[in-house]
Amino acid sequence: MIMAAVSKLNYTVISSGYAAVNGRELKHESAGAAMLAELYREYIGDWPKFFKMDTLSKVGFVASELLLKEIGDKRMEGEEYASSRAVMLFGTTASLCADKNYQETIQDSANYYPSPALFVYTLPNIVTGEIAIRNHYRGETQFLVVDSFDAAQMAFHIGCAMQDNTTGSVLAGWVDSTANDDFSCFMTLIDRDQAQDEEWLSGQLNEIMNNLKQ
Amino acid sequence: MILKLKQEIIEVLNLEDVKPEDIDNDAPLFGEGLGLDSIDALELIVLMEKNYGIKLQDPAKGKEIFKSINVMADYIQKNRTR
Amino acid sequence: MANDRSVLITGYGIVSAIGLNVSEVLDSLLANRTGIGSIKYLKTGHTEFPVGEVKLTDGEMERMMGIAPGTPTTRTALMGMIALHEALASAGMGAGDIEKAAFINGTTVGGMDKSEQYYLDFIENNSHDAYISTHDCGSCSEMIADRMGRFKYISTISTACSSAANAIGQAAAMIRLGDVDIVVAGGSECITKFHLNGFNSLMILDHDQCRPFDAGRAGLNLGEGAAFLVLESRESAQRRGVKPLAVLSGYGNACDAFHQTASSPNGEGAYLSMTKALADAGLNPSDIDYINAHGTGTPNNDVSESQAMRRVFGTSLPPVSSTKSLTGHTTSASGAIEAVICLMALKHGFIPANYAFENAMEDCVTPVDKVLKGVSLNHVLCNSFGFGGNDSSLIISRAE
Repeated sequence: MIMAAVSKLNYTVISSGYAAVNGRELKHESAGAAMLAELYREYIGDWPKFFKMDTLSKVGFVASELLLKEIGDKRMEGEEYASSRAVMLFGTTASLCADKNYQETIQDSANYYPSPALFVYTLPNIVTGEIAIRNHYRGETQFLVVDSFDAAQMAFHIGCAMQDNTTGSVLAGWVDSTANDDFSCFMTLIDRDQAQDEEWLSGQLNEIMNNLKQ
Repeated sequence: MILKLKQEIIEVLNLEDVKPEDIDNDAPLFGEGLGLDSIDALELIVLMEKNYGIKLQDPAKGKEIFKSINVMADYIQKNRTR
Repeated sequence: MANDRSVLITGYGIVSAIGLNVSEVLDSLLANRTGIGSIKYLKTGHTEFPVGEVKLTDGEMERMMGIAPGTPTTRTALMGMIALHEALASAGMGAGDIEKAAFINGTTVGGMDKSEQYYLDFIENNSHDAYISTHDCGSCSEMIADRMGRFKYISTISTACSSAANAIGQAAAMIRLGDVDIVVAGGSECITKFHLNGFNSLMILDHDQCRPFDAGRAGLNLGEGAAFLVLESRESAQRRGVKPLAVLSGYGNACDAFHQTASSPNGEGAYLSMTKALADAGLNPSDIDYINAHGTGTPNNDVSESQAMRRVFGTSLPPVSSTKSLTGHTTSASGAIEAVICLMALKHGFIPANYAFENAMEDCVTPVDKVLKGVSLNHVLCNSFGFGGNDSSLIISRAE
């Protein structure tokens, strides 16, 4: 299904059974975790560390990769570029899915093997870390855990990030996951000028979220 | 035993697109090749305890033991308690 | 950062392994008395790891805060309430002031101390269902805030060990933007089996008292605690008739972009966060009089951070110490706990020691191993680095 892009911003949306770039749905055979692997193999394919990530990181990673490919974004044009991009993600579940997976490895005292690879992902800011490692982004990175989606709040915080004159753009997104096959995410790139108009930005973010919810 | 070990490693380290026959028994596991990192090393330590009953306290020793599949298999044969 | 609005610090509060309030913490710092010891409060089988626990049971904290027995609370929230109470009192904040203020809390563990205890109950029966909604970080922040009044705006930052530092940085940005006049920011975190085991699985815990920057260092000791700063605009402080205790003059955040949990060998993220904070404050490296390092005591962090400090400061490296040697690594709360320690250092003219340091090493800076009293500090730098390469630096300066 092709929908008209709902926003002037470039954006990607991914949910458990749906993925689209600027309103254009991406074809896929599977759903859930398998869909993420399918999207990775089809559109990305050159980052095997993807398979070690937890669901939240996989979703954020795929969404950001699809977005950056769409824009034709050069990953690094010298140190200045890498330092001027901030990554700000928002969500309500944070690392809940990874937490559950890790907890299972220490739940049973008779079969007690805490997994370092799972523990590493029990923090929502590892998602921002994975995106930064892939793209060599050295700007500001944050994950804000919020009660519920609030476009105005998101726009406000993105505006705050621009207080730093060295920030030229913000890779911003909403990333949630409660289970390995249950997730929802949108990702967008906002430049300095776009961030200054908070009211406009808030409207754009609402449009994108509505697109995700459908 | 070598095949079983390779399968275990592939599963535990989420090496999705790697098949046992792709791993050379004498090739280095870390650095080039499989590109494993420090977290992978820690997971291999857990694997040795869980599947073979070998407890390794010092992560630095892991570097020697995990040099290659053959070195690792040899160590396991000599030290397994399961 | 283009700033025409200074961010003043008008109050602070703290609870940690070395003291249950500002006065006790100051005492411990001056006496160089560590709060790290064997596990007493957390019920775990892993008693081989020294930790920096807050020396109060949950019950004792509930009674301190006047919470009715049986009310669902979590250890992280309780510690947060104690610290927030002290911070608000020290800034002379009344109900009316609180209603105009924002509250930003840094936490990662949230109410997990209870959820890990009642996990099976959640699945098998209804006996502890009340603790399901106290689990998440946002609920924790709300419980802390609601205990003290009706804040205008509440938010939570969860970036692991840099959470509280980022909360303070965020607060400064909000005040400079002119959207809020007062923001109370900091963090709170308790020790849980979940992350004690997790850190152990990464093999970065020391079986002995930690020794940041020491040649024989073998890892970190986990700690717990909470601290909050009251930050406000000059106009607001004047209106309320409160004196600034110090100025939050700089904040920098950068990503190391190297590994999920380890730091890069040349300390790139740390180098950038310190450089950004200095630029934000309009200061030169030689203006810094003391660095409260992140200094966890792990072989990796200490050498990486040392590299970064040397790159920034060159020959003008000021005295450095890691107070995690006294408090333990308080993870999400560390940025705020250490900021409060920096505030005390500024106010009382001393540099806290890097407790347990004995042997220097070529690849690490040599920290201060004795409390230095009678020093006059103008600008202090405080580092907090979180997993995910989230590196933050704060600069706190003397108020004019």
